[in-house]
Amino acid sequence: MNSKKEKTLIFWLFLAPALIAFAAIIIVPFFMGVLYSFTNWTSSTRADSELRFIGLENFTTSILDPAFSYSFGLTIVYTVINMLAINFMAFVLAMLVTSNLKFRKFYRVGFFVPNLIGGLILGYIWQFVFNSVIPSLAKVNEIFASLGLPENLMLGNRNTAVLALVIVGTWQYAGYIMMIYVAAIEGVPMELHEQAMIDGATTLQRIKTIVIPMVAQAFTVTMFLTLVQSFKQFDVNVSLTSGGPSVIHGGLPIFGTELLALNIYNTAFLSNNLAMGQARAVIFFLVLAIVSLVQVYVNKKKELEL
Amino acid sequence: MKKSVAVAISLVLLAGAMFAGGSSDTKKAKQADGSISGSKLTLMQNKPEIDAQLKAYAAAWGAKNGVTVTIKSIGGTSGGMGPQLKSDYAAGDMPDIFAFDGLESYKEWEGSILDVSNEAWVAKTSVAFKYNNKVFGFPVAVEGWGMAYNADMLAKAGIDPKTLVNYAGYKAAFEKLDSMKAELGIDSVVSMAAAVEMGWVTAHHNFNSLLSNGLAYGDLSVVNALLAGNVDAKRLAEYADWVELLFKYADKAVLTTGNYDSQVGAFATGKAAFLHQGNWTDGNMKDVTFKMAFAPHGSMAAKTDGIFVAAPSFYAINKDSKSVAAAKAFLNDLVSTPEGAAYMVTEAGMIPAFSGIALQPSGQLSKSVQEYSAAGKVYSWNQYYFTGDFRDKTLTPIYNQFAAGKITKAEYIDLMTKAFIANKK
Repeated sequence: MNSKKEKTLIFWLFLAPALIAFAAIIIVPFFMGVLYSFTNWTSSTRADSELRFIGLENFTTSILDPAFSYSFGLTIVYTVINMLAINFMAFVLAMLVTSNLKFRKFYRVGFFVPNLIGGLILGYIWQFVFNSVIPSLAKVNEIFASLGLPENLMLGNRNTAVLALVIVGTWQYAGYIMMIYVAAIEGVPMELHEQAMIDGATTLQRIKTIVIPMVAQAFTVTMFLTLVQSFKQFDVNVSLTSGGPSVIHGGLPIFGTELLALNIYNTAFLSNNLAMGQARAVIFFLVLAIVSLVQVYVNKKKELEL
Repeated sequence: MKKSVAVAISLVLLAGAMFAGGSSDTKKAKQADGSISGSKLTLMQNKPEIDAQLKAYAAAWGAKNGVTVTIKSIGGTSGGMGPQLKSDYAAGDMPDIFAFDGLESYKEWEGSILDVSNEAWVAKTSVAFKYNNKVFGFPVAVEGWGMAYNADMLAKAGIDPKTLVNYAGYKAAFEKLDSMKAELGIDSVVSMAAAVEMGWVTAHHNFNSLLSNGLAYGDLSVVNALLAGNVDAKRLAEYADWVELLFKYADKAVLTTGNYDSQVGAFATGKAAFLHQGNWTDGNMKDVTFKMAFAPHGSMAAKTDGIFVAAPSFYAINKDSKSVAAAKAFLNDLVSTPEGAAYMVTEAGMIPAFSGIALQPSGQLSKSVQEYSAAGKVYSWNQYYFTGDFRDKTLTPIYNQFAAGKITKAEYIDLMTKAFIANKK
C-alpha cells in the first residue's frame, strides 16, 4: 500500500512540470481569453478603458461585420481547396517515393525540406516568385508573353491570389503529410500486393482496393492536420498577400484575401480592439473544434481493422 | 521514500528557478539621493533601421552614467510596435520610454504618458507632441516627404522642377516624360505603390495631401470637417485628379503588387523619374549617382510650394516607471551633449528636431527636407488625426481598388465620401 502511494506521488511529481507549463500557457490564457471576450478590454491606458462586462456585444458586432463574414467564407473555401491540394500532392509524392524510383531517399528529404522553412520567409520568397520571376518568363519566350502583363500578376487579383496561397500552402505542407503517408504505405503487408499481382490486378486497381483502404488511418490524421493547418493559416497570409488585393463586398471595399486568423489579428491590433479580436477567436475556436470533430468521426468510420 | 524526497526537492528547485525572474525587482535599490546611477532603463522604439546605432549610443551613455539601458526595436508597419507594447502592459512590464506616432496612439496610452513640459529640451524644438498645451512627446527626428525627383533626368527632359507646384504643372511634366520613356530609359514616370501592404504610402502619406496641402502649419480645418463627416467636394475632386494622375503614370506591376523594395528600387536604379516616398529612403540610395530633391505635391489646382514635414514619432516617458529620472536624463542628453547629437545626425542619419545642433545629415533627400524646413515651406502631417483602423482597413482598400482600375474616379470619390460620413463619430 505504501509503495503504491509512493508510486502515485512520483507519477504526479514527474508530471508536474509539464502540467504546470500546460496550465500556465494554454489552460489559463484560454479561459482568460474567453472571459475577456465579454468585456471592453483594450490592454492600454485609454481614458475610458476601465474593464467592464459588455455581454455579447463583441460577438454580435463581429457577426454583423461584413469583413468578418467574408473572411469566414473565404477561409472555408481556402480550407477545402487547400486540404484537397495538399492531400492529393502528398499522396502522389508518397506513392512516388515508395516505388522503385532511383534516388527516392533523396526525394523524400527534398520534398520535406520546405516544411522546415518558416512561413513568413516562405511567403516573402514566393512573393518574389509571383511578382518578379514569373513575369520575367515573358522575356524568355513569346509563349509566356501574357505572364508579363501587370493585370495577369497572380497576386494582383483576388481569385489568383487565393490560388497563390494554396500553391504556397501545398508546397510548404505536402512534404510533411507525405511522410505520414509513406509510413502508412510501407506498413501495408507485401503479401496483399503479391496476391493481387498474381490475380492480375493493375497498379491503379491495387492503389484503389489495397493501398487506400489500408492507409485509411493515415487519412484520419492527415485530414485533421491539413484541416487545422489551413483553417489557422496566418504567417504565409501575412507575408504573401497581407490580405490584398481589395475587393468590393456588399458595397464596401475590403481586404480580398484576409483569412480568419489575419482578420482576428487585424481586429485586435490594427483596429486596437483586443476584446473583439478575442471574441472572434472564440468563435473561430468553436467552429474549428466542431468541424474537426465531425471530420475525425467521419474518417474513423472508414478505417479498417486488420 | 528517499528517492521521492530527492525528486520533490529537485522539482521545488526547478520551480524556484523558473519563477525567480519576477522577484528581483523587489530588491531594487532606492535612489534617495537623486542619483540615477544603478537604475535600469528600457526603451522601446519603432525604427529598426537605427537599432544598431541607438544600441551603441545607449551602451556608451549607460556606461558613463552607470545605468543599464535596454533597447527594444520593433517596427515597420503601423501595427508594428503596438502589439508588443500591449502585451508588455498586460504583463506589467511596460518600458520606461516608448515611442508613439501621434494623437490616436497618444490617446491609446494617455494614462501612462508623463507630462514633460518642464524639460530643458522643450524650448529647443517646435515639433514636440503637445496636447491641451502640455508637452508629452520628445520628437525623435524630423522627416518629410514630397515628390522625390531625379534632377538629372528632369534636366535631360527639359523640365524645370520649379513648375512642379500644382496639378497642371505635374500633368505637363508627366506627359512629357511619358513621351520620352525610351530616350530616358525609364519604365514609368513615377514610382508609386498601392498594394494592400503599402497602404501606408497611399492611405497615410498620400492621404495627407488631402488633409494639409496648402494650409498653414497646424491648420486642422479640413481634418475637423472630415472628422465631422463634412466633405469639401471641390477639394476632394482636385485630390482625386492627383491620385488618378499618380496611378496613371505609375508602373502597373509596382503599383498593384510591389513592395517597398520594388518601389524604391525602381527610382534608385533610374527606372522612374519620380518617387512618392520620404527622406528615410536615403538609406536605400547609397549607390545612387544622380542628383535628387523633393518637389511639392500637386494635389491642388492652386499652387502649393511646400512639402510635408513633421516628427514621425515621439518618445514618451512612462509615468509609472521606476526610472523616471534616468529616462529624463537620457532624453536630455540626446539633445544637450555632443555625443547625443552625433548619434542622431551622423550615426542614425536623422534630421534633428532641435535647434542648436550644427551637424547635418549627408543624404540628398534629408538635405532637401532641411532646406524646405529652413525656408518655412512646410505642411503638417494630419493623417494621425484619423484612427489606424480607418486608414488601414477603410481607406487602403479604396486606394487599392482605384489603383487596380476596378473602380472609376467617380466611384473613388463616392467611396471616399461615404467612408468619411460613416466614420463620423
